[in-house]
Amino acid sequence: MPETQRLVVVGNGMAGARFVEEILAKSGPEKFAVSMFGDEPQGNYNRILLSGVLSGTHDSKDIYINPLDWYERNGVSLFAGVKAIGIDRQSKSVYASGGHLVPYDQLVLATGSLPFMPPINGLYTDDGALAPGVFAFRTLDDCTQMINHAANVRRAVVIGGGLLGLEAARGLMNRGLEVHVVHLAKHLMENQLDAESGGLLKETLEEMGVTFHLEKLTQRVTTGDTGDNHVNGVEFNDGTTLDCEMVVVSAGIRPNVDMAKLSGLNTRRGILVNDDLSCRNDPNIYAIGECIEHRSVTYGLVAPAWEQATILAGRLTMTDPHVRYEGSRTSTKLKVMGVELAVAGNVHADDDQDEVVTYVEPSRGVYKKLIVRDGHITGAILLGDGTTAPRLLQAFDRDEQLPKDRAELLFPIMTESLADDIATLPDETQICNCNGVTKGAIVEAVNAGNRSYKSVSDATRAGSGCGSCKSQVEAVLEFAADGLIAEDPSAHYYVPSIPMGKTELIEAIKSQGLKSVSAVFNTLAGGREDPVSKIGLASLLKTIWDDEYDDERDARFINDRVHANIQKDGTFSVVPRIFGGITTPAELRRIADVAEKYNAGMVKITGGQRIDLLGIPKENLPDVWKELGMPSGHAYTKAFRTCKTCVGTDFCRFGLGDSTQLGIDIEKRFQGVEMPHKVKMAVSGCPRNCAEATVKDVGVVAIEGGKWEIYVGGAAGASVRKGDVLAVVDSPSEAIKVMGRFLQYYRENAKYLERTYGFVERIGIEPIRKLLMDDSTAEPARLDEAMQSTVASYVDPWLEGLNPIHESQFLTKPETSATVKNC
Amino acid sequence: MDRSPLVTTKTTATHCPYCAFQCGMLLGDGDGHLTVSGNDEFPVNNGALCIKGWTAAETLTHSERLLHPLIRSSDGRLRTASWEAAVDRIVEAITETQHKHGLGSVGMFGGGSLTNEKAYLMGKFARVALKTPNIDYNGRFCMSSAAAASIKAFGIDRGLPFPVEDIANAKTILLIGSNAAETMPPIMQYFDQQQSGGGKLIVVDPRTTATAQRADLHLQLTPGTDAALANGILHTLVVENLTDCQYIRERTNDFTLATNSAAAFWPGRVERITGVPESQILQTARILGESRGEAMILTARGPEQQAQGVNNVLAFINLALALGLVGEPNSGYGCLTGQGNGQGGREHGQKADQLPGYRKIDDPAARRHIANVWSVPESSLPMSGPSAYELLDGLGTEDGVKALLVFGSNVVVSAPHASNIEAKLRSLDFLVVGDFFLSETADLADVVLPTAQWAEEEGTMTNLEGRVIRRRRAVAPPPEVRDELQIFQDLATRLGAGDHFVFDSAEDVFTELRHASAGGPADYAGITYQKIDDLDGVFWPCPQEDHSGTPRMFVDRFPTPTGRAQFHAVTQNPSGEVPDPEYPLFLTTGRVMAQYQSGTQTRRIPSLGRIAPKPVAEVHPSAASLAGVKDGEDIVLKTRRGTANFSLKITPTIRHDTVFVPFHWAGSRSANLLTNPVLDPTSKMPEFKICAVRLEKSIT
Repeated sequence: MPETQRLVVVGNGMAGARFVEEILAKSGPEKFAVSMFGDEPQGNYNRILLSGVLSGTHDSKDIYINPLDWYERNGVSLFAGVKAIGIDRQSKSVYASGGHLVPYDQLVLATGSLPFMPPINGLYTDDGALAPGVFAFRTLDDCTQMINHAANVRRAVVIGGGLLGLEAARGLMNRGLEVHVVHLAKHLMENQLDAESGGLLKETLEEMGVTFHLEKLTQRVTTGDTGDNHVNGVEFNDGTTLDCEMVVVSAGIRPNVDMAKLSGLNTRRGILVNDDLSCRNDPNIYAIGECIEHRSVTYGLVAPAWEQATILAGRLTMTDPHVRYEGSRTSTKLKVMGVELAVAGNVHADDDQDEVVTYVEPSRGVYKKLIVRDGHITGAILLGDGTTAPRLLQAFDRDEQLPKDRAELLFPIMTESLADDIATLPDETQICNCNGVTKGAIVEAVNAGNRSYKSVSDATRAGSGCGSCKSQVEAVLEFAADGLIAEDPSAHYYVPSIPMGKTELIEAIKSQGLKSVSAVFNTLAGGREDPVSKIGLASLLKTIWDDEYDDERDARFINDRVHANIQKDGTFSVVPRIFGGITTPAELRRIADVAEKYNAGMVKITGGQRIDLLGIPKENLPDVWKELGMPSGHAYTKAFRTCKTCVGTDFCRFGLGDSTQLGIDIEKRFQGVEMPHKVKMAVSGCPRNCAEATVKDVGVVAIEGGKWEIYVGGAAGASVRKGDVLAVVDSPSEAIKVMGRFLQYYRENAKYLERTYGFVERIGIEPIRKLLMDDSTAEPARLDEAMQSTVASYVDPWLEGLNPIHESQFLTKPETSATVKNC
Repeated sequence: MDRSPLVTTKTTATHCPYCAFQCGMLLGDGDGHLTVSGNDEFPVNNGALCIKGWTAAETLTHSERLLHPLIRSSDGRLRTASWEAAVDRIVEAITETQHKHGLGSVGMFGGGSLTNEKAYLMGKFARVALKTPNIDYNGRFCMSSAAAASIKAFGIDRGLPFPVEDIANAKTILLIGSNAAETMPPIMQYFDQQQSGGGKLIVVDPRTTATAQRADLHLQLTPGTDAALANGILHTLVVENLTDCQYIRERTNDFTLATNSAAAFWPGRVERITGVPESQILQTARILGESRGEAMILTARGPEQQAQGVNNVLAFINLALALGLVGEPNSGYGCLTGQGNGQGGREHGQKADQLPGYRKIDDPAARRHIANVWSVPESSLPMSGPSAYELLDGLGTEDGVKALLVFGSNVVVSAPHASNIEAKLRSLDFLVVGDFFLSETADLADVVLPTAQWAEEEGTMTNLEGRVIRRRRAVAPPPEVRDELQIFQDLATRLGAGDHFVFDSAEDVFTELRHASAGGPADYAGITYQKIDDLDGVFWPCPQEDHSGTPRMFVDRFPTPTGRAQFHAVTQNPSGEVPDPEYPLFLTTGRVMAQYQSGTQTRRIPSLGRIAPKPVAEVHPSAASLAGVKDGEDIVLKTRRGTANFSLKITPTIRHDTVFVPFHWAGSRSANLLTNPVLDPTSKMPEFKICAVRLEKSIT
């Protein structure tokens, strides 16, 4: 057929629009002139996602597959919002509302389905419209109206406990409504589930707050007598009633056959079609989607409709002229309020010929059932645990021959880990694939005297290609060296790119006067910059040079560039310094004003007794700081953070030492001092230890006799460790001195990102105590002096708000997640 | 050309002969043979080599090396001959064939391992000396889908539009269909740095490969469902507001084309198509979205070697654009090129539809420019010819090529549906193959020309980053071995086009290539050998001599008419074949660590042979148990095109519905006896990665 044929498609939903897409893809624009009728005024949207729109996860504009300009771009004439009324099969034309008459050479009906409205009194007003507050859940328009209505009501009744009803219930729950689901059958989703899984699903959903009314027939929707006829409840056939302000009817769908029937096409439940998808009594008219009845089956899912669309397009474009539709295997997977549910095929077994595998775990709401016939799945349910759903549903969709071990489809397979026991591996086992190095070769190299990873690697090339075998090479080394391993020097490198331990590196930096990260790279790393090493070096240089450090900002993490803590949405948190956690009404008022003015998304008292203003955009940081008029709390950087205090002696009945004053003094002294990692402190005024000082990096506890215990190396985060007592001192000033001494020692000797708890454990408290507390050596005095010089060089970084380092320091780079979607 | 002694006393800094990573290596004197070591100074591999690199020099002195031309004699056997006799035979055959069947009856087939100079001269030889439109190369089987997609989206194609070192700084990397840990091991140092700095690596692959094992997240997708996966991720990005609206507004066109297609790919549906759990699709989208513009999306042959290859790559490019990655620091989309000069090989006129500088052969301005550089009338330049598989499939047919010259390619092993290609090669009137071993293709030839190897020649290669680097000569080739540049010159002279082929050195050819590429998309005009030496390679485009090259592209604009990148509507189409009851499994093909491409080189190296002695099919325990086969036994794989033999490895690292086989072997063990030659409509890439297969016990 060389000339263009007129193809008319009635229905612009999931089936009709997909069919036209397939036609265009398979034939190009020349073969057919396509016209489409759609009841709804918009283009084609993804009806599957309506439940997402209702529950608020999807924006309605994100669900369009074919917006109006798609039709224009593809040369399709769309009659949007025009209802096709009938077919003149004699003259081969479709007539529609508004007097349209469109002739066709090929006609495809994709009229979809309509919600089934059970015979319930009061559903409709006198003029035939649904009563105010009553909704069917079918179109985007329904959805929008439901959302608007739901905003003003408290309780909703959903009639129908099938798939769609439960999705509607979920959506309304998400919008804060109390939801009751009324269902006629004995258990939920009786078309997809058996009684046991239906019962389990109900229990799980009940725990989430849905109320179910099973085996109830709704007889009447009642309306208020306020004159607006607004729904105010439902009545059941057993005489009971339920108050509500919203009713959603989702009692199933029925094929929309009205126009086909009117035009004389054979219909039963749906439009009767043959395997070529032509109508039973008119082979020149085709039908696809939810409106058809094929081999006595109607479908209410999108997958069969799209399968039919592909087949029919293949036939009409002659690209696959002999393909036939032989029915679809239907399965579905959904998440009802977080409960995973996958269902496939017929879940009611035929006892004579089916093999049934079930697994039930009521306490977790887990139910798994597999019905197997001749080694293929005929039905399956996975409830509460969908881990194997992808595998199972693909096996069902493709009608795969099942593995003999059916458990593979119900439980995730534990992948065997590689042989852990290196000792038992044969010598010819290849360890390094890149370079084909066997276990035997490594053992030989070890025996020849290579006793470190590096020297084994140099000798055998093992690990020098892609590096993924490193841990196995190490394991072989350990096995072969039998305890005589020379430690890999690189494990002690402060940063990976410079082959020096920390002491050696500090020495080199000092002796060569290297004051910037790039100077270090140039001198000590052959000019090669290593991004991984930058931040660690920056921290070290700051420790060594204090204000002489040449601060190249690109070596810093974003937090340290803008002196605030980046949050997951790209805004920042602002924590002003509140010394010792002691504040004033005036300060609080100022904080409150700033939080309000700059719209802080959250105001939070932190674990360290400070106030955190969250959700501040980068560009507002300078103004926020200025208006707070408080120094930086350093909550964002690897430095001393806060010193938590208890109430102390002024008010507390038990206080032994003035913990608040000491806390303030500590914080004033150590604020902003850079550290290998964050450092948290606390002071408790008595051994009751309300400030939890014994699990801080450095903590002080007042004890009887005016003495103070100093703890170091405590932690109560991802790791928990009680600190070790470093010393007992007689006065607050002595305490501050010893703390400073320890901190300086930590700064000089810890690896970058090594917390004090790891550091103290690595060095051991005894050696530390000996070194720091023995005043007969010069070291304590040197440490005190170094700390003093660091403290003296402190400048509040928030002053950069007034004088940015460069003009774009606080400018926002292209926004990546605008709150308003306009792209 | 002068001949230096076989063994040199100096150290030569050159590059590995194998993959596109082009590791810098040092060749030194090793008492009768060359020693190999990694070049610590070369800033791409930083001294690392894989075992193929370490053993690369073994092919130079290999006993099976071709040392003389061979001519097929009347008894059907290949016999040693002189160059003079060989060239006579070739010229005679070309002249006769063209006389009888027209200019187009002689064709050429090249390869992605040839230097830029050779690729350039080969294209020129076809158009100027043979005057035939029929030239293409095996790069069609490698990067063509990514190339076509990049041109559609960005207006230009350079594998990585950023230096490889940027990988170390990306917060998140989505790596699709690459087993770099085995196929390009030294690149893993950058992924290691990326991960140890806190970055996330997400790998998409039907197999838990050595690369996937290192990933933070592995998406084990069903073969052929890449576009659905990408669309599902895009769907989630849109729904969860994780796209970069400002970037989309300012730097791209037609975002809605992509979002409308993605609207049909909600994660639940994508799980059904891809087999990747919905939760992992969401997780991937969130990790990417939360990388706030510092993420990379890298594709390799997995999504590309499909009849939907261009479509698949466009789907991932849509993602990269929606996230605002392309042209931004430590971010972007890139393709991990496969062959050594896969990048340069596609830029200089070896492709049927292209002229040097990545110019289109049907563009009148491009034709004028090239005609001018070549001093030929524009009208004498042929138009576009058929793509690689189409060219091979047409050999010996009525309108097809009757005499073919092949350089740097072993198509009997590397083309899909290999038995068909072998039959077509046999039906030729005349076949010339240039190679340094008697490859399976050379074994069918009427004349075989022994060619020089990498360490014996000068030239340039363009690595996966678009960095033009120098291949340097360490030793002279054996006395009766010539390099292709000389071969093309000699043949052109005999065919009466000698005036157009006057060159004294590879650098001379490069100088002409620079003029030819000037002003084209891949502009080499400002690159000189000296500059390459000074800068450790030069990234194209480099339009003038005072230009230092372009490590990072798209910083300000895209070379498209609007200056913006283009989104595309992308949907998921079924692959050419899907499993059915008769052929119930997917077959996918790929590489293993210790072998390379058709194996002509690597199969001859004993130490590599010990690691990978034979082709091993990987099969999931449940598929193996259904087929009743045991680990380690010999099996037969059957597809609609053929049957091939493999040894079986049962492993849970592969999907239950998929069989993997490597393609480095020939004869009855050739994976390409099985593969499906259905082509991508745009790139003409064959579907190497997917067909339907049946697994059986071996009866022998």
